[in-house]
Amino acid sequence: MRKQQILNKEIESFDFQSGGEASSNLKNILRKLGVSAQIVRKTAIVTYELEMNVVIHSLGGEITALISEDELEIRVDDDGPGIADLDKAFTAGYSTASDEIREMGFGAGMGLVNVKRYADQIDVKSSLGEGTHVKVIIKLSS
Amino acid sequence: MTKNHSVLLKEDKCEGCTNCVKGCPTKAIRVHQGKAWIKEDLCLDCAECIRACEYHAKYTKTDELTQIVESNYPILLIPPSFYSQFTENTSAAKIKKAILNLGFKAVFDVAEAAAALSRKTLDFLNNNSGSFISSSCPVIVRLIKLQFPDLIEMLIPLKSPVELMAEKLEKKFKEEKNINPDIFFLTPCPAKLTTVKRAIGQKESFLSGAIGVENIYKKIYESLENIKLEQPETEIITLATIWGSEGGEQSILQSWQDINTLSVSGIKEVKKLLNEIERNNIAESIKYFELTSCLDGCIGGVLNVINPFQAKFNLEQRIKKIKEISKNQKLELNISDDEYYNFALPDEITADDISKLDHDFKIAMQKLEQLQKEIEILPGLDCAACGAPDCKTFAEDIVNGRAVRVDCIFMLRQQLGELADELSNLANELPPVMASKKEETDDS
Repeated sequence: MRKQQILNKEIESFDFQSGGEASSNLKNILRKLGVSAQIVRKTAIVTYELEMNVVIHSLGGEITALISEDELEIRVDDDGPGIADLDKAFTAGYSTASDEIREMGFGAGMGLVNVKRYADQIDVKSSLGEGTHVKVIIKLSS
Repeated sequence: MTKNHSVLLKEDKCEGCTNCVKGCPTKAIRVHQGKAWIKEDLCLDCAECIRACEYHAKYTKTDELTQIVESNYPILLIPPSFYSQFTENTSAAKIKKAILNLGFKAVFDVAEAAAALSRKTLDFLNNNSGSFISSSCPVIVRLIKLQFPDLIEMLIPLKSPVELMAEKLEKKFKEEKNINPDIFFLTPCPAKLTTVKRAIGQKESFLSGAIGVENIYKKIYESLENIKLEQPETEIITLATIWGSEGGEQSILQSWQDINTLSVSGIKEVKKLLNEIERNNIAESIKYFELTSCLDGCIGGVLNVINPFQAKFNLEQRIKKIKEISKNQKLELNISDDEYYNFALPDEITADDISKLDHDFKIAMQKLEQLQKEIEILPGLDCAACGAPDCKTFAEDIVNGRAVRVDCIFMLRQQLGELADELSNLANELPPVMASKKEETDDS
């Protein structure tokens, strides 16, 4: 079965008001499809982290979710500025977030670390000056 | 009363206005043929519809006092919140005496079990890693079962205070007096009534029934002034009576130990919190969540008589008085009596798996596509004139075969317009033979 798109949403930079909507929408869609509670939870966490990364760090981007019977694919593409050091980005506690963002309770340096923890596969392509492209796979059948 | 829920509709009073439809946190109500029907499998008995209805068409039918007192050995359990219905100057002893006069054989405070449960909860939290949610408010437990099934594992697997109390008393009366008591609960909310018929995490409730505060309050209140107590009136109820108000449970836990807890009341706010917990956007350092569906906790229950603001004040004053009289600032942490309680919930709490479009993934996908198309076609005004709370829910009803597109007045108008155009076209259309004849005559 080929993957079908079930969600596509634009995310604006610094839009904390709607940050989290993609995660909520995707969660509701998965429940309607009968996906198990544990996988819905994983997806909610992963999507929220990725979504907030775009809100906090990028110039805006979009999130797309595709699904087949076996797996869920979440793609997040933003318009920059890009991640300078990918290895560091995957290190717990490492963050480039400003003090202002930290005061809001974000930027603990756990974003991608958490995504990796809950996702079955993660692929990040990024370089400074260009956008960041994340592709995450979550298996639906264990 | 149905087995599944306790909020009912008075058909003759319902105007079909959709106020309750819009306010329902689980989107369980639809106006159909002018009446607001509740879908049983989605109803949590949170009573938001009772609060929203200006025509008083939604109500709860609890047990009748006349029937209760005719049972073999009626016992009434008083919730902590009930004391908020009186000023602190009306002693607990007097209130209990008034209840006994109504025909009960005995009356007990659920707060005693709440105190024991607090002690057990602290013990549980100290011996288990992770964060937990109180399972004392049945609406919250049902909300999690229905909309946040992945958080079921966070529900603390302990019985609610009222069940603990009822179980203990049932055993005690059997063993000590060889009596099989009929235990009733004086309930501030419809949800507790539902748990009598449909217990959560245990096969059966230990209660025989429940009577709403509103059913009995007047009788108690009116008899108070004639009650003379033999012993001097002392305030002998437990400090755990504070459980009746939001944050009560939390304040008891924190009086014993520096523990991270969070208390949230009001079902809409609780839903927001559960959403944040679900996406890991709440600190893991919070060990315990005290959540209640009613704003301000059980004192905000819809079957109470006194307004929640006054009730909150009354309860605070009473707690102050208990502290003064008992000369205790906090609840006892070590009491051997607790071993009489059987805290653990015997059965697992399971998800109410009713949100999926179909059991078969492929069919569910097809329905999802259809759903997204319907949502695009519909006007998106969320006017609720179709009887569903919003266009998205209406679209889901269409996909599930429970509504048709023309239930939407905008879709109906559009279709009527199209139909009118077609009719007019049809009226002006001439059959080909006639048309050619017409040409012939024109030519000649």
